[in-house]
Amino acid sequence: MTAHLGTIAFVSLTALTILPAIMVVSTRNLVHAGFWMLPCLIGVAGFYALLEAHFFVVVQILIYIGAILVLIMFALMLTRDVMDPKERQTNAMGVWAGVICGLGLLASAHMLFRHPWVGVTSHPGDAHAQTVALGKALVTRYALPFEAASVLLLAALIAAIVIAKSMRPPAASVGCDGEVSGG
Amino acid sequence: MIGLPHYLVVGSILFGIGAFGTLTRRNAIAVLLSVELMLNAANLNFLAFWRFLTPAAMEPHVFVLIGLTVAAAEAAIGLAIVLNVYREYGTVNLDQIAELRG
Repeated sequence: MTAHLGTIAFVSLTALTILPAIMVVSTRNLVHAGFWMLPCLIGVAGFYALLEAHFFVVVQILIYIGAILVLIMFALMLTRDVMDPKERQTNAMGVWAGVICGLGLLASAHMLFRHPWVGVTSHPGDAHAQTVALGKALVTRYALPFEAASVLLLAALIAAIVIAKSMRPPAASVGCDGEVSGG
Repeated sequence: MIGLPHYLVVGSILFGIGAFGTLTRRNAIAVLLSVELMLNAANLNFLAFWRFLTPAAMEPHVFVLIGLTVAAAEAAIGLAIVLNVYREYGTVNLDQIAELRG
């Protein structure tokens, strides 16, 4: 009975993830594409729950949906006046890209199902134990990658501010060193 | 019974859809959306491998956490660049931003 429930949950999560993903890459209205991303990300969070990675369910919803998707929606709406929903939104590579991606998918599915995976049956710990272990690992053994990720994030945020605010004044040109010359 | 290959196939389908969108979309922000699809597929594969092969290991979690950080950084930088391109060129269509084309 539990196995059946797991299968039903997996199939419905697959539908919840894959169908919106197809809409994300195919719909002409890009604001709708951004909104279609929402069920897709929720589906991936559901997969994380099914995989018993409880911490990442929360992280997926907080960071992907709460931060990244909102950021992308802002950018879509800020540049909305130049996108016409009636305009073609794909380039001329559609057929070739479809063929290449389809062949890659078939090949990888074929190999995945032929490979004899030696799975283990043990379950990971419960949510509390997992989160405690991850937190301890991040400040002891994996402190360096954690700090590197923090520095990357800080650098990215500063760079995003610098790039986004460097609006060129009409009568002045900005040199390579950021100094405003002329004007 | 749902096993590791099923999750991996879902991950590869998601990756394929994202790759298709990255290759075919004209709008730069739509390309970023497709890249996010591919990053999600990678994270899903990491956690599937963790769950079915090494449920006691901590490395996949660290990988996924850093992958999420990289995704957030990529979205912030990418969108800042796209907004600058929009101000400079008045378009975000990648095939119309062709000043470097010889």
